[in-house]
Amino acid sequence: MQQGAAVQNEKSQSARPLFLRLKRSVKFFFRNFSGFLGLFLVIVSVSAALFADYIAPMEAGQASLSARLDPPSWADETGESTFLLGADQLGRDMLSRIIYGAQISIKVGFFGVLIAMILGTIMGLISGYFGKWMDDLIMRLADIQLAFPFILFAIIVMSVLGPGIWKIIIILGITNWVGFARVIRGQVISLKEMEYVQAAHAVGGSHFRIIRKHVLPNVLSSILVLATLYIAEFILLEASLTFLGLGVDPTIPSWGGMLADSRNYITSAWWTATFPGFAIMLTVLGFNLFGDWLRDKLDPNLKV
Amino acid sequence: MLKKHLWKFVLLALTAMLLLAACSGGNDEGEGTGNNTDNSGENTGDNQNQDKGKSENPVEGRDGELVIGVPGDPQNWDPIDTFLLDWSTIATSVFEGLVDRNLDLEIQPGLATEWEYVEENVLQFKLREGVTFHNGEPFNADAVKFTFDRLLGEEGAKGPQQANYTAIDHVEVVDDYTVNFHLKYKDPVLITKLAGYGAVIVPPNYIQENGDEHFNNNPVGTGPFKMTKYERDNVVVLEKNENYWKEGLPKLDKVTFKIIPEASTRLAELQTGKIDIMKRVERSQTQAVEDSSFLSLSVAGTPTVYALRFDTDEKPLDNPKVRQALNYAVDKEAIIEEILGGYGNPISTFQSELSFGNNPNLEPYPYDPEKAKELLAEAGVEEGTILDIYTPGNDATFKEVVQAVAFYLEQVGLQANIQTVDANTLTSELMPNGDAGHMYRMGWGGWTLDFDNTAYLLYHEGEFWNPDFYDEKVEELLAAERATVDQAEREEIFMELTERLYELAPQLYLYQDMAMFGVNDRVKNFQTPHDDRIRLENVEVE
Amino acid sequence: MIQYIIRRLIHTVFVVLAISLIVFFSIRLTGDPVAIMFQAGEPTKEAIEEVRENLGLNEPLIVQYGIFMKQLITFDLGESFRSGLPVSTMIAERMGPTVLLALGGILVAILIAFPVGILSAVKRGTAVDFFGRIFSLLGISFPNFWLGIMLIIVFAVQLQWFPASGYDGWKSLVLPSIALGMILSGILARLVRSSMLEILNQQYISTAKSKGIKDWVVIIRHAFRNALIPTTTFLGIQFGSLLGGTVIIEQVFSWPGVGRMIIDAINQRDYPVIQGGVIVLAMLMILVNLIVDLSYSFLDPRIKVGGSDK
Repeated sequence: MQQGAAVQNEKSQSARPLFLRLKRSVKFFFRNFSGFLGLFLVIVSVSAALFADYIAPMEAGQASLSARLDPPSWADETGESTFLLGADQLGRDMLSRIIYGAQISIKVGFFGVLIAMILGTIMGLISGYFGKWMDDLIMRLADIQLAFPFILFAIIVMSVLGPGIWKIIIILGITNWVGFARVIRGQVISLKEMEYVQAAHAVGGSHFRIIRKHVLPNVLSSILVLATLYIAEFILLEASLTFLGLGVDPTIPSWGGMLADSRNYITSAWWTATFPGFAIMLTVLGFNLFGDWLRDKLDPNLKV
Repeated sequence: MLKKHLWKFVLLALTAMLLLAACSGGNDEGEGTGNNTDNSGENTGDNQNQDKGKSENPVEGRDGELVIGVPGDPQNWDPIDTFLLDWSTIATSVFEGLVDRNLDLEIQPGLATEWEYVEENVLQFKLREGVTFHNGEPFNADAVKFTFDRLLGEEGAKGPQQANYTAIDHVEVVDDYTVNFHLKYKDPVLITKLAGYGAVIVPPNYIQENGDEHFNNNPVGTGPFKMTKYERDNVVVLEKNENYWKEGLPKLDKVTFKIIPEASTRLAELQTGKIDIMKRVERSQTQAVEDSSFLSLSVAGTPTVYALRFDTDEKPLDNPKVRQALNYAVDKEAIIEEILGGYGNPISTFQSELSFGNNPNLEPYPYDPEKAKELLAEAGVEEGTILDIYTPGNDATFKEVVQAVAFYLEQVGLQANIQTVDANTLTSELMPNGDAGHMYRMGWGGWTLDFDNTAYLLYHEGEFWNPDFYDEKVEELLAAERATVDQAEREEIFMELTERLYELAPQLYLYQDMAMFGVNDRVKNFQTPHDDRIRLENVEVE
Repeated sequence: MIQYIIRRLIHTVFVVLAISLIVFFSIRLTGDPVAIMFQAGEPTKEAIEEVRENLGLNEPLIVQYGIFMKQLITFDLGESFRSGLPVSTMIAERMGPTVLLALGGILVAILIAFPVGILSAVKRGTAVDFFGRIFSLLGISFPNFWLGIMLIIVFAVQLQWFPASGYDGWKSLVLPSIALGMILSGILARLVRSSMLEILNQQYISTAKSKGIKDWVVIIRHAFRNALIPTTTFLGIQFGSLLGGTVIIEQVFSWPGVGRMIIDAINQRDYPVIQGGVIVLAMLMILVNLIVDLSYSFLDPRIKVGGSDK
């Protein structure tokens, strides 16, 4: 890719140096802008999650029925509302709930992806490295996983294990290992053909050692990119679960839950649904942009 | 320079998304901002609607036709296979029973003109003459006999309705327009049940010729409308029954039911005039309907009641004092006023005022946190005791209610831990097994409008939805009530029973539900039913 | 090749068997269909027992599974508890709308993703690239239901261009297709862009460029073709899962598709419909994946099928 840029630059070689330099830095900025923006948005939501206790003006659960559905203070004609982003169905401060909501989304995204990543990586490594019947078995397991309806799985897990946010994390983690496994399997298959891996094998390196020393490091960047993109997806999936009636309990300030439970207020109290929607959009967009940029840098041929 | 532009763009894009989301909130006040994005695309004819839509009725060109948006499709039109309100909303216009429960819930003659007990346990009906089914088949004593033979026989055993009619032994044809019902025992609510789903009269020849499966999808009855089109989970079309026995009715030519599960979509269709009546307006949508210039909200009390049922096996709820304390601790009036927007009534026991057996002398538990604290202290409940509350995850309104309850429990020193679960896992697995925490949402239809069914199934030992509650006195009263058909005597027993149940407080009694319909002003003579059974024969449109 | 296909088909049988086993037993952990059927009717315990008996639900599970498998072998999926219809008829009824929506979604996704992907690859690192990406990512920046509701509010309520719900003519297809297409286009555009870049960065393209061949010719000849393979794969695999995976879109737009049928069946614990629906979708999905795998090797002869076993 460097070469393409170089050729282009050659054409404008005659331009004035200062202008060229300026143009270059603008170009650099643009070229990486989406990554910067993504990273910025990710940092914002992660810091909201980490420092919620310090920045949120109120406690997330502090309710008062008399403040029910108070509009944002700047849009309130009566001037009574004291909430910057309005109050929700139980008179809780929307701003605080959105800030605390970052904790839930990040938690779901991070730990859910961790489970999916570990499962998927192990499956993908085994499947790609050992091949043969192991590969067949794991790929058929993947077929079963993909064919099994997600919501049915969620209902089953919750009726066996009971409800709660960790169950949701587990559900999301378990149902999404296939994406990781497939990508890693593909890479391992082509790595296996590489001379140095073959050589390591020839000198009698154990499978575990070869995987750890030669294979795993080479798929790490793909795992990282996938994980970033999956965090974005998990944040959305958590919202979908609430929509389907399988979400976290309503006292937990989850963005998805807030959005799903207040969707019918959209015509009468727009702020209850709009601001959580905004929060989700920016965070998810952030992770997606950042993940895309990471992929461009680390692993441009990754097909996801 | 470029950078500056970029930021502008970003801001613009993000604001556009925000506006996208918010622009409907601008029905009244946010118009100025909303229009920026809305008018960007120009379109000829349709665009005029857009501005008119706000103030003028958007419905055009549907003379004599009514369109109703309903949330669910019963999947099966056979009356013996269903208990669903979704069925009755539509099928009430297609089928009729021997007796009819009108919109005020009074029993009146339907396909039978009169009835009386001619002997002990023999109930005789005189049938209406000159009535035909939609397929031209005559309605007569044979049809009645066929209907009940089918209901009580093998076909009926596959469905849930049969169980309601076990008091009937068999039906005997006396002459073409007279039938005798021979009963095994006296059922005090039998006449009401004959107005219910399973007892509507079905056409014998039609079913015998076409089979049950065909009938499931192509129902034929004697009602004011006949079903001419049914696309599963999409649309049901009813057309006027020209030969309807009520003179001059129905007034509409055609009624279309659109099945729209998502409430926000249903509301969108109502606001744009694509449907005239919206069944089940959510509490969160009432304001949007009330604010519209061409829509009105039509409300009626239902027999459905809501409560949080206690698991009386769990400590500390095995102590009636604690259960009473919780009833005192929660401000039901405030919940109804604030969260339900006033659409609900407090209840003293687990029945509505529509129910026979409701005790008008019992006042719902007042809001008295001090008394609650006292009772809790007496019972030795420690501060900070945690109570698990289970509630279905798909009921957004009740989620608000239960959070308010949690808030009130905290005020008296308890801690509530709300758990949301899949609705049907809760009712069919967790509740019957007593695995639904300390307390859980219980909604109860009470469709017989008689406390007997409710009380027996919820408080009699060993019933499906009663895994834990037992009281000797309650058992006695229930048995006594079932032993007689004398309504006065039953009422007396119910008064005693309700007092006992009030005292024992097996539930945290919350409220009676309201049925809410959004109705376009062009619809005339529509009355929201108490029991979801929409009556359309008198309805007209402008 | 033939051998490979046969082996995959045999695997498919095992996969279907495994799925049937898992679905059959796991769904029975989650509640009682008769109790749910009865819920609104408030029945006695005896009545519930009787209906359960009549539906054959009181038999030992193994026996029930045996009956189910026996039917399955003769391609009989049983009858729905709720509608009393054969499950195969119900699935057939729903396939039309489902396929239509899947195709509509894919069409919209292609219409968005290809121009955006190509433009942002060619104009890489410029504002065009940036906004193109943002645009293509919008669909996967909101929860599905929220995207659907917003489309309804803007295009059905405010602009009144398209109906908000129903399955009635091409106009009703527009909004659900857009929603679905926007969701797909996020990933699709990403794929198109990166495959385009892969080629654009190669030496010979640069050479071609410097020789003065017009840009668009180069793009169409080489890069576009390169982008086709991964995108067809993606769309092929998606098509399989789209058949059952558009539940939320179908719900929001009241689209009578297979996904909604299965979700309703899951909610009502209508066992035969769940079992039949899941199995049929699984078979379709696996077959579509197989076809995609095979066509992959046609599109690009360098790729061998069944790569792992030599």
